[in-house]
Amino acid sequence: MSEFPISFTLEYPYERTLGPVIGPFFTALRDGRVLGINCGNRVICPPVEYDPDTGATLEPDFVEVGPAGTVENWTWIAEPTSKHPFQEPFAFAQIKLDGADTAITHAVKAAGPDAISTGMRVKIQFCDERVGAITDVYFVPEADAQEQTITPGEKEVRKTIHKISLVYKEKLYPSRARYVQGLLDGKFIGQRSPKTGKVSIPGKGYDSIGRVTLSEADDVELSATGTAVSYTVITPIQYQGQTKTEPYISAMIFLDGSDQPLIAQEVHGIPADEFRAGIRLRAKFKAAGERNIDDICNSWMFCSTGDVIERWEPTGEPDVPFEDFPEFI
Amino acid sequence: MAERCAVVGLGQTKYDRCLRVTMDGLVREAALKALDDAGLTFADIDAIVLGKAPDALEGVMMPELSLCDALNAVGKPIHRVHTAGSVGASTAISAVTLIESGMYNTVLTVAYEKQSDGDFMWALSGGKSGGQGAGGSFAPWIRNYIARSGAPEHIGWKVAVKDRLNALKNPLAHLHMEDINLESVKESPMLWEPLTFYEACPSSDGAAAMVMTNKAGVKRSSSKAPPAWVIAHAKRTELAVYPGRDPVKPLAGVDCAKELYKKAGITDPRKQIDCAELYVPFSWFEPMWLETHLICEEGDGWKMVDEGATEIGGDFPVCMSGGVLSSNPIGASGMVRCLEAANQVRGTAGDYQVDGAKVAMGQAYGGASNYFAMWIVSSDPDPTFN
Repeated sequence: MSEFPISFTLEYPYERTLGPVIGPFFTALRDGRVLGINCGNRVICPPVEYDPDTGATLEPDFVEVGPAGTVENWTWIAEPTSKHPFQEPFAFAQIKLDGADTAITHAVKAAGPDAISTGMRVKIQFCDERVGAITDVYFVPEADAQEQTITPGEKEVRKTIHKISLVYKEKLYPSRARYVQGLLDGKFIGQRSPKTGKVSIPGKGYDSIGRVTLSEADDVELSATGTAVSYTVITPIQYQGQTKTEPYISAMIFLDGSDQPLIAQEVHGIPADEFRAGIRLRAKFKAAGERNIDDICNSWMFCSTGDVIERWEPTGEPDVPFEDFPEFI
Repeated sequence: MAERCAVVGLGQTKYDRCLRVTMDGLVREAALKALDDAGLTFADIDAIVLGKAPDALEGVMMPELSLCDALNAVGKPIHRVHTAGSVGASTAISAVTLIESGMYNTVLTVAYEKQSDGDFMWALSGGKSGGQGAGGSFAPWIRNYIARSGAPEHIGWKVAVKDRLNALKNPLAHLHMEDINLESVKESPMLWEPLTFYEACPSSDGAAAMVMTNKAGVKRSSSKAPPAWVIAHAKRTELAVYPGRDPVKPLAGVDCAKELYKKAGITDPRKQIDCAELYVPFSWFEPMWLETHLICEEGDGWKMVDEGATEIGGDFPVCMSGGVLSSNPIGASGMVRCLEAANQVRGTAGDYQVDGAKVAMGQAYGGASNYFAMWIVSSDPDPTFN
């Protein structure tokens, strides 16, 4: 029995609205200047919107700081990941820029851990490509700094984009793994509770109503025929990762003998105006080698049937009348 | 319950796609408005309760930590609440319990969403293709409601028009659709049959905040408006999927309402409650919640809509502010329902004020219609009902 180790990469470009303080800071950074904000008798860099001591709103009263400063603290990144600013070893340091009273945390390009120390002087360097983000700059030991001529950009920077990327790896829990194995074998495997007699698909390994544990002995194979009790026609909304473009029927189907519907079953090949609640359907599975279960995870809320069903086709039996729908409908 | 909780300050941002301020600036704006309304300052606040919908919506994990400066919460207790779409109401109720228990004298509660920083559809589909959206999940249940109740199709359009016309009276609402009518709702693109585009809520940025206190605190507050007293609240949850579940009239929604009315001493909600802000992100949920929450008999919800009973001026106005159909900053939307109920009993709802409203209900739901949170507020700390 496979444990179905699954892996999924989650990626998305989030945006951040920058507002009246961070916006000017990033705009200036793109244009070759570093701004701090006046806060009482201190200059805070990077600037903050609210006084960290009193919580009072800070007026956007900026002062230029840097471009050089002093390392207050540092750590060496010996093995950078793809998300780090440099792909060769470097230091993250807290740097108090000249004219500021607080330190900014940033990357320092240094030859090695022996080439950086607390109290050392460093200077900001601007990247050639700048978009108005914290990654527009980096630091080097002051002696290594190059003189730079910066051409200012045009528009005010109002937002930044942050592309996140996470890789999830997990194993399907046993009852879910048997459900998935069933789909690969062209079968619907559910579980019957010995306490309530109710059949759910997929089974969860426990009966949440009767509060008993379910085991492999409680597995039942369900018929591939069932009744659509409701449906919607979905016009796909485009978002990051969405590949669907055309409207499609999404139906709630009770397999014969099941007490819990399969939800969001895509129906193709039956025109929307001929589809109806009560229609009898049979799942025609894809050929054995073409069944794909990659999008099934351990999520308990809405579990899909993967990509194993070629199509739902009418059985030709008479429709089930509304009054004979499963109990909740 | 040791203390009766009073709502003495209300604050809301404008609901729109907000590129003016940061997420921090957004929550602070609502908080400062609520404090100003209460005639108090951050220094008067003993604890903060923050709510928002899933962190994946904006990709800021545990924002209750990064928002501490903006909410002046440094050195004070801050609580985070999370119950999907119902979270705004659950957050308000959590804040109420901090007052009722006698733990704190004055509490600030804030809920928000900045939908423009991320993408709701992407987050709800777990970053995978084929996400149906909330509308795609709810549409089959709405179809079942229509089949069960025999409601005519124009009921959904009617709710959509009513809430958008109410929103024209609320300057903070996201949508101001001057020309909306039954025909334009019907003719708008079909998104999740039977739901059309105009029968669905917008994606909004925004924050809502309330200041709550005890009886002694009401005397300290210098609010120009009278307090709204929280006379009852209830929360209920059920599993999203289980054999025999009724997603059209969820048991949790029925039981939550029963507990709410029992705690308030209400025996005839339609008569004894003057108006309600219900969480209606898709038009048909108005009649569905009227039935689920026992405001009318099963099968009569759509008739209340059809008769105009839920319009301002009807005998049971619903979503006077324009509702979720006109502004949906998800995490805040439930709090806005509670806040607008308080707004009504304080008599401060301006152009969408229900004449003489003394008892109002705020309700929110979330997830797969399996989280419910609601409260009843009154202008009288100890009202009696006959």
